[in-house]
Amino acid sequence: MMADSPYWNPYLETLPRERLRALQLAKFKRIFQWAWEHSRFHRSLYDAAGIAPADIRTFEDIRRVPKVEKSMMRDIQGKDPFPYGDALCVPLEEVSAFRQTSGTTGRPVYQPDTWQDWEWWAECWAFILWAQGYRPGDRVFIPFGYNIFVAFWAGHYAAEKLGCEVVPGGVLDTQARILKIQELRATAMMATPTYVLGMADTAKNKMGIDPAALTIDKITCAGEPGASIPSTKRRMEQAWNAKVYDHAGATEIGAWSFECQAQPGGMHVNEAFFLVEIEDLQTGEIIEEPGRRGKMVITALDRHAQPCVRFDAKDVIEWDERICECGRTFRLVKGGVVGRADDITKVKGVLLAPAAIEEVVRGIEGLGDEYEVVVDRPGDIDRITLKVELMPGAENRVAEIEAQLKDQLRLKTNLGYKLEFHDYGRLPRYEVKARRFKDLRKQH
Amino acid sequence: MQELKQLEEIDRDIRRLKEIAGRLKAAQPEFPALVRNADRILASTKMLELNVCDLLDLAAE
Ligand SMILES: [Zn+2]
Repeated sequence: MMADSPYWNPYLETLPRERLRALQLAKFKRIFQWAWEHSRFHRSLYDAAGIAPADIRTFEDIRRVPKVEKSMMRDIQGKDPFPYGDALCVPLEEVSAFRQTSGTTGRPVYQPDTWQDWEWWAECWAFILWAQGYRPGDRVFIPFGYNIFVAFWAGHYAAEKLGCEVVPGGVLDTQARILKIQELRATAMMATPTYVLGMADTAKNKMGIDPAALTIDKITCAGEPGASIPSTKRRMEQAWNAKVYDHAGATEIGAWSFECQAQPGGMHVNEAFFLVEIEDLQTGEIIEEPGRRGKMVITALDRHAQPCVRFDAKDVIEWDERICECGRTFRLVKGGVVGRADDITKVKGVLLAPAAIEEVVRGIEGLGDEYEVVVDRPGDIDRITLKVELMPGAENRVAEIEAQLKDQLRLKTNLGYKLEFHDYGRLPRYEVKARRFKDLRKQH
Repeated sequence: MQELKQLEEIDRDIRRLKEIAGRLKAAQPEFPALVRNADRILASTKMLELNVCDLLDLAAE
């Protein structure tokens, strides 16, 4: 009976929009009050802006609340209460878990959580996993090196919470993980898109095991936007003969979005637990209407030890005008997270989103999953080099593949590229987050 | 309507649970197994509040 419910919370997930908005506003007031009362960092930020809890009455008022940048979080850390500093809202002895950001864009940020925050993390993930069809009876394999990063820890606990059996695939190597999936007939797994493809490659080409013949029927991706890039999703789904679902979250935010079983070409924002605002990249104006890209400003409405209130997340997203057929009233972000405000750089005066390149490369048969993009400026003009791998057997089709690649790149990104073809296996492989985009111009 | 009545009952039980767990946590401060387990129940109770009580309290019709 329970397993028949399409929703983890049938009330919250189908709440009429105006009630959902009322809930968000009330919860924003509550978390703002909490941060204002308990965090010296937040209090001084809000005092300087002349804003206090009584000033928050409408969504318009929320827009006046100063944003928190990652760099601000870096600055307060390492101080007392050590090592978190002034944004800590609870006595240090109530902190039950340490995590840190991956530091892809600079010095890592520490994140304290209390046991209640940890329950909350798992709760957010329970919404995700239930929406993606995880049920009691699933055997969930997690092929991930559990460590100081939050990734998949919460997925692990959420899977347990909703009644699945969890197999922690911690420090096993890729081949051992594949054998364990085979041995235990695991039905689901969670990994980065890079690793989902990498595992399939190892199984097929090093072990002679067809991953599509294994028993995995659903895969939850996180850490990178691949599961929302149609060609990457297709490659993963075909390789594993499984449904692949996207999810986006972050250490200092929480697990804020998920793709549902309807696979609507985007992700639902969990609007009962998060308030997502989209801000125009140039003007800073808040974008309400669908179809316009901007960067995400997000509030975790129920996180307490180190609150996340109007955090400038730098994820580039846009609202989808469609209502999902799954029945959830949580809004969709179209195509998932389409990039990072830091990554979407101007090349030759044109905005370049690395995800668009990935969509092209993985949409072409004969090319491997790996690629690398290097932007430099040898003279006065930007140059983009795209390195790709030819699959074994495709060597005699180079000219045809090259023409196809050039056309598609021109069409999808409006730019010309210097193309480099490499033998299969020559480009770097990544286990967690890939770094396939290199902008060398900043060094000149 | 019946669903709402049922939710209101659930809501009352969650509040009762919170009160009882809070009492247990404070009952004997020198009894770690009591304090810490009651504390964990409180954290789980908070998740019930987020899922049910907030819905009734904050998502006004
Ligand atoms: Zn949906």
